[in-house]
Amino acid sequence: MSDNKHRVTRRQFLNYTLTGVGGFMAAGMLMPMLRFAFDPILKDEAGTEMVAVADVKEITTEPKRFDFKVKVKDAWYESEEPKSAWVYKTDKGEIIALSPICKHLGCTVDWNTDKEHPNQFFCPCHYGRYEKDGTNVPGTPPQAPLDRYEYKVKDGKLYLGKAKPRGEA
Amino acid sequence: MKWTGEDVAIYERERDYIDTALLPLLPVAFGQGTRRLASGGELVQLIAAEVERQLRGRVFLLPPFVYFADEPRAQLVERLSDWTSRLEREGMRQVFYVTCDRAWQEEGEASRVWLIPAVPLESMEESYKHELVREQAAELLRFLVGRWAQR
Repeated sequence: MSDNKHRVTRRQFLNYTLTGVGGFMAAGMLMPMLRFAFDPILKDEAGTEMVAVADVKEITTEPKRFDFKVKVKDAWYESEEPKSAWVYKTDKGEIIALSPICKHLGCTVDWNTDKEHPNQFFCPCHYGRYEKDGTNVPGTPPQAPLDRYEYKVKDGKLYLGKAKPRGEA
Repeated sequence: MKWTGEDVAIYERERDYIDTALLPLLPVAFGQGTRRLASGGELVQLIAAEVERQLRGRVFLLPPFVYFADEPRAQLVERLSDWTSRLEREGMRQVFYVTCDRAWQEEGEASRVWLIPAVPLESMEESYKHELVREQAAELLRFLVGRWAQR
């Protein structure tokens, strides 16, 4: 009879329930252990979270400064560090987000403030200059191009991550 | 640059470039006027820190010059001018003071003094406070950049 096929013996029933319950218990013990073992890999590297900075609509072909804040841990206190980025779109529509930190000694550069050299980034400290794409102008103090932020666009918003030296970002 | 191990290491390497000292002058008092001085000093330090952040490649922000508001003025002036000449001997081509104490404007070195108005920060909204610090820092920054251009 087909009824017979579905009948579960006492032995089978005990087997199933014990493996089931035992499995749960084993998993309950093993999971935290595995979590501990892999924790360093799963943990986000501090500061890698992307921060929403601007609406993509606001970005034009002219570099514009956007200020934002990043959480940082400095020895024993956590604080919010103010940051800014110079953001513009190339003619091809690619977004470029440059860090304003001068590669010479770390001053903040400004766009188009030196009248003798328009359309360049200008550092007021030692008159370092950079082209619009962040390339350092030879003959001025900086020895490297401006860092570029990692970025992504999601739901019409621009998110910025870490600033990386050009070539890596 | 700030007065920290990390920054001073950079300073020692790049002494030629870091030629401007910024020295906050902080009066301290207990009793009358304490709160006004404390809040003025707070604002001075916030603004100085923001300017240092933006011009750190050339400006060395020193730990503050602290004094009691009722110390004899003549002694203070002498001590400050001693500090200043030491800094100059160490290679600081320009030394500026940032303070909320008006009395410094009447001393001989008034052209080095950048005065910050004492504002009761504690009763101010966070966003407004940020705006105030940003604006004041931008003004001090323009002052410093202007002085560099004169040289």
